[in-house]
Amino acid sequence: MELFAGLLNGFSVALTPINLIFAFFGALLGTAVGVLPGLGPAATIALLLPATYAISSPVTAIILMAGIFYGSMYGGSTTSILLNLPGEAASVVTCIDGYKMAQKGRAGAALGIAAIGSFIAGTAGIVGMTLFAPIIAKFALSFGPPEKFSLAVVGLLMAVTLSGANVVKGLIMMALGLLLASIGLDPISGKTRFSFGVIELQSGFDFVTLAMGIFGLGEIFSGLESTVKSEIVTTKVGQVWPTLKDWAASRMAILRGTLLGFFIGVIPGGGAVISSLVSYAVEKKVSKHPEAFGQGAIEGVAGPESANNAASSSSFIPLLTLGIPGNASIAMIFAALLIKGVTPGPFLIQEHPEVFWGVIASMYLGNIMLLILNLPLVGLWVQLLRVPFGIMAPVILLFTAIGSYSIQGQVFDIYSLIGFGLFGYLLRKLHFEPGPLVLAFVLGPLVEGAMRQSLLMSSGSFSIFLTRPIFLSLIGLFLLLAFGQSMVTIRKRFFKKV
Amino acid sequence: MKGEKMKRSVVVLMVIVFAALILFPALLSAADPYPMKPVTVIVPMAAGGSSDLLARTVEKFWIKYAKQPMVVVNKPGGGGVVGTEGVVRSKPDGYTLYLGYGSGHDVVMPSLQKMPYDPLKDLIPISRISIHSVVIVTGANAPFHSIKDVIAWSRKEGKPVTTAVSVKAGAVDIALTAFGKATGIKIVTVPFSGGAESTSALAGGHLMIGGGHPSEIIPHIKAGRFKPLALVLPQRDPTLPNVPTLKEQGIDVAIWGSIKGLAAPAGTPKEIIRTIDGIIKKICSDPEFLKTMANLNQPVLYQGSEEFGKFIRQATDDYAKLIKQLNISID
Repeated sequence: MELFAGLLNGFSVALTPINLIFAFFGALLGTAVGVLPGLGPAATIALLLPATYAISSPVTAIILMAGIFYGSMYGGSTTSILLNLPGEAASVVTCIDGYKMAQKGRAGAALGIAAIGSFIAGTAGIVGMTLFAPIIAKFALSFGPPEKFSLAVVGLLMAVTLSGANVVKGLIMMALGLLLASIGLDPISGKTRFSFGVIELQSGFDFVTLAMGIFGLGEIFSGLESTVKSEIVTTKVGQVWPTLKDWAASRMAILRGTLLGFFIGVIPGGGAVISSLVSYAVEKKVSKHPEAFGQGAIEGVAGPESANNAASSSSFIPLLTLGIPGNASIAMIFAALLIKGVTPGPFLIQEHPEVFWGVIASMYLGNIMLLILNLPLVGLWVQLLRVPFGIMAPVILLFTAIGSYSIQGQVFDIYSLIGFGLFGYLLRKLHFEPGPLVLAFVLGPLVEGAMRQSLLMSSGSFSIFLTRPIFLSLIGLFLLLAFGQSMVTIRKRFFKKV
Repeated sequence: MKGEKMKRSVVVLMVIVFAALILFPALLSAADPYPMKPVTVIVPMAAGGSSDLLARTVEKFWIKYAKQPMVVVNKPGGGGVVGTEGVVRSKPDGYTLYLGYGSGHDVVMPSLQKMPYDPLKDLIPISRISIHSVVIVTGANAPFHSIKDVIAWSRKEGKPVTTAVSVKAGAVDIALTAFGKATGIKIVTVPFSGGAESTSALAGGHLMIGGGHPSEIIPHIKAGRFKPLALVLPQRDPTLPNVPTLKEQGIDVAIWGSIKGLAAPAGTPKEIIRTIDGIIKKICSDPEFLKTMANLNQPVLYQGSEEFGKFIRQATDDYAKLIKQLNISID
């Protein structure tokens, strides 16, 4: 009953005209920022922070910023599907089947299912947050360094499964990604590694630059080879909306993605990325036609896109219930609230119920706004594929260059963008799937940091991993899956021979 | 043509975004002598951290006393070195300043590794705003009730005490290492990437004790998740008046914590330094500012340019001596 009253109170806050306008504006800006390559929610919120001082009510300010954050999760899939250009780590996986679908003239279906999946997962995430926030927060805290290590390792191994049939090539890509990630600051000792005296390399390569180069520019460079027809992907636009068959195939994927995203996304640092990876791997595993993955399977878009949106909802839980921000965007919201005199944490719900419930209510409304905003846009985005390659390629080049420059204001990043583009082209020529490399680059510092923290905690003894129940069950589950898979493969081969 | 229409919508969308991003901070402006244009203040730490919070609070009040707004830019990386170096290499015209002067990478790091610039010579101190002291805490369910319990436990069991710290070789790490060396117990500091991560690991009960700045720690103390054990500063911190210092408890360790001041690149004209110091002085006595800072659990400890210069030299010397005496190195 208390919950119901709180939520009702929240809606009375969120439904005031000013808060509705700001929720809409945040969702709109978030969508735009998610679509534009290079511009991320964290940078946008940071730029808008001074403007929030002028907004007198803290609820309105956080509603705006939260809108930008979850709005960008909706927009993020657009360029991944249309241009093979992931704007953030959590939508790298979407490129794999999403872009293949676009090439086959099914961009509309991919975008549509991504929007619908995002809506369902986002809303379910908020329902989960409304009901179980305090319990989930405890779950998040129970992930110490050893547990994070196991989760990141599972994420890495899942990333290899993105490589399609050739596991060896996937492992090579993963190793390369880990090597690239080791450039810059050592996460434990704080010393600079492999920077070769280049000041810009002291903090390592930037993820967005790397991903845009290897995926997006690599695609453009290989597009330059085909002088035949001037078209970037295809002029086939196909049916805009997902069919009933698509829906039937995606239904369970959305459900599973939502659950995975909600639970894994709550873990601070890398939760959203890992949840999208795990969701993809799970879909591939349970699918009746795993060979279709990597060739444009709609479940490969629906699952991960649902997972990262559920994760964006649940990542508010540690902030609102514990006062612990889990990622850069949430950290900015944390800062804005503190400056406004509102301390997020266990007392928030008593001290400022209007903030707690107001934000939750606005997230319900924001997700509906996003669906209404994004579904008509699907038709519009799909038209992007009609733009001739000769126009599209330079525009993408320009926007990715602006994007990577804007992250740190360094010209060096534009050079690295082009360098990664050429490298991405090379990978295409050699038939290497870049997904595992890019994801290993994100997960590498997590794996390294968590493992070394664990070993510091145990004075160098590996026994620390054997005494942690969560660690053991995660690794056990993974080994069981791997074993089951290899048994199936062996049996298939055996029967083939016979 | 459909393509044409679509392109136009994309352009409109982009214009909206860029206009929104650019116009918002510049909504407030006027003109006259020194601040003729917005002043960029570089924070070499990630957004949302304690230095960033301080900068954002100053930013909010700056416009009350200056004719042009202040714009905070986060440039994290290299433990703070990357952003600070950017300020050192910028034009000394008073339009690029550095907030956070006196942090670990200014006063601690030079004693541990080669720096690409000299924090004392290449920067001019403008004013000190705050000091983030270091508190030693333990989880609410831990068997320790005082710092003596920690020492006794480690001596009796002969086991190392695992300690969560925000970053390697920062003020918190040095403070805890010094505590270990002074008492002869083995302290293993486990560095994380920032205060949010280290406090959540400690709150989850994954480590025995931890250190942090009051702004990160106090909310957890209030929530009953942490118990404060000691303060590693020469005197008590006004934000934590009931927590005794290590010295009060008979352990001869005290550090300066992480000092937070404003600085300009060497060569910035004296008048401009004086003007900015004047603005900061006014901000530091603004009751609204004091209230916001109290809310953030950051004490306001203002010092003018010259005094602050002396203070920072003293702190650097003291850290160098401590590091030598304790034989601390990063490896």
